[in-house]
Amino acid sequence: METAFALTGKGYVLLAADTTAVHSIIKVKTDVDKIKELSPCLLMAYSGEPGDTVQFAEYIERNIRLYHIRNNFPLRPPSAASWIRRSLADSLRSRKPYSVNLLLGGYDTSTYMPHLYWMDYFGTLAEVPFAAHGYGSYFTLSLLDKYHDPEATVEEGIATLKRCIDEVSKRLVVSPARFKVKIVDKDGVREIEL
Amino acid sequence: MSIMQHNGGSVIAMVGKDCVAIASDLRLGVQSLSITSDFEKIFPVTDRLFVGLPGLATDVTTLREQFRYRVNMYTIKEEREIEPQTFAQLVSSTLYERRFGPYFIEPVMAGMQKTPAGGYAPFIAATDLIGCLNFAKDFVVAGTASEKLFGVAEGLWEPDLEAEDLFETISQTLLNALDRDAFSGWGAVVHVITKDKVITRKLKGRMD
Amino acid sequence: MSGSYDRALTVFSPDGHLFQVEYASEAVRRGTCAVGVRGKDVVVLGVEKKSVLQLQDPRTVRKVAMLDDHICLAFAGLTADGRVLIDKARIECQSHRLTVEDPVTVEYITRHIATIQQKYTQSGGVRPFGVATLIVGFDPHTTEPKLLQTEPGGIYSEWKANAIGRSSKTVREFLEKNHKDDLSRDDAIKLTVKSLLEVVQTGAKNIEISVMESYGKVTSLELSQIEGIVQEIEREKEAEAERKRSRLAAAAAGQAAMSQRVDTPAQ
Repeated sequence: METAFALTGKGYVLLAADTTAVHSIIKVKTDVDKIKELSPCLLMAYSGEPGDTVQFAEYIERNIRLYHIRNNFPLRPPSAASWIRRSLADSLRSRKPYSVNLLLGGYDTSTYMPHLYWMDYFGTLAEVPFAAHGYGSYFTLSLLDKYHDPEATVEEGIATLKRCIDEVSKRLVVSPARFKVKIVDKDGVREIEL
Repeated sequence: MSIMQHNGGSVIAMVGKDCVAIASDLRLGVQSLSITSDFEKIFPVTDRLFVGLPGLATDVTTLREQFRYRVNMYTIKEEREIEPQTFAQLVSSTLYERRFGPYFIEPVMAGMQKTPAGGYAPFIAATDLIGCLNFAKDFVVAGTASEKLFGVAEGLWEPDLEAEDLFETISQTLLNALDRDAFSGWGAVVHVITKDKVITRKLKGRMD
Repeated sequence: MSGSYDRALTVFSPDGHLFQVEYASEAVRRGTCAVGVRGKDVVVLGVEKKSVLQLQDPRTVRKVAMLDDHICLAFAGLTADGRVLIDKARIECQSHRLTVEDPVTVEYITRHIATIQQKYTQSGGVRPFGVATLIVGFDPHTTEPKLLQTEPGGIYSEWKANAIGRSSKTVREFLEKNHKDDLSRDDAIKLTVKSLLEVVQTGAKNIEISVMESYGKVTSLELSQIEGIVQEIEREKEAEAERKRSRLAAAAAGQAAMSQRVDTPAQ
């Protein structure tokens, strides 16, 4: 079942999302990338109604890029989060709302601070030290309550992330086969092979 | 489950002697799952006026932005700060604009209102989600713990409390009501407003 | 006087002119000069920069704009009109990516801009853009550089090298004389600077050069680099002049010797 989670550490944010595309009871694909790179230091993991997710994520991606080209610098994470939240909140009260849940991880190159935002399809926005969406959140949030350390190194962060993935694989009825993990820090974004 | 209970959260405001207080919990949840314990629902409007926005969290943010915009426009056009009484009307009309597709928020306001004599008088008010104003002389409550808040406040509140006593009264009222509500809690914040200063304190409650 | 055909509306004059469009072209001719040169696998944009006032921030006065990762635009004419056009083009670049996933081709975005410019010659209540543009870039999945031009009337065309704006005729004639196919990076840059020097008397500090070498690889030359190139060109010119002088001197000397030899037997 669709699951995404993320955590912050010392100067970085880690995001993980499952890679399965599901159609009714069938796994259609197992290598889907559900984490978009919005700008040099901004990542967005998305989940929710198939179709809405990709459509909305690409709309956000193109607008963030347009801002970057227009202004010669990218939108900072708090501002990007506010703008995306407003897009979802406006959509909620439109004729056909997007049902997309998001985790937004970014590194602010002006203040040298990592930021992580939890957002749901209502347009609820909260800045958090760690977050999760989907059925996996019921297992991972309690794990992260215990093991999360905002001062952890990347290695320690990945170790905590692995605990979460292992727990989901162990306890969730229909657990995702694979997770894609990405990190964002002062050097930008990159994928991490577990 | 009603949409008003989706994210949880409660706000209370009380009148004291030459002071008012407004307080809320800090929980943000999705039904029974807690997401964060530092979600503020009370926002400053002017130096002597605060507004609390319990209800659906997305509308907390949207309305906060909406009120900030409208108050800024008011301040620029009128070249003066908005008074609590006026702000209450602004809140009411903003909510009634969405009469048939409302924001799921029941705002609570607390501030010191300028009097014609040049002094300040305590002011509190609350509205329902479509902007029906309720001006009270003692206390107003809203949110998922509103029934419990009513009960405890009815027992603890008395007229003409000094600022420090009012702080104690509103804190005890809130914390004890929160303990009986599954959707509110996880710490609280209290603002006590007098004519020349605001005291803000964060409270730890039962963090479970 | 042209009667009432050159007022607010863009309507034909009896002899088939659209005066408003011609005035827009005049605004372009009065704008600062911009040059584009295509090389073998490089394309260079050079613009004449107005001198920045002492207290002005030079970063806010730019005449070359990125439209997308792989496309650059320079314009001549009214700066404010140019900015509006650039913004429309940037939106189209992202919109195109959003709808069909692929980045725009250089011709596509040029046609889009030209179409907008044309619309403003045929709609009510508007005036044409007082802007001509040079658009350079690489199409996705190709290595061939492109250079296209648009004009206020909505005409667009492709070029090996071209100039727009003030004294563009002089510069174009210079380019026609000196442009060769398959220029290297350095030669293309040098030709761009050289052609700009035809009309920019004040030298390096009023020249801005942008180089696109492959898809998404754009660099803007530093002032010191441009100064270097200008000096090199000056040196070459000097050497050329020197050669000419010495050739002239040699010829004169030869002539003198000849006349002497002619003289001698007669004595």
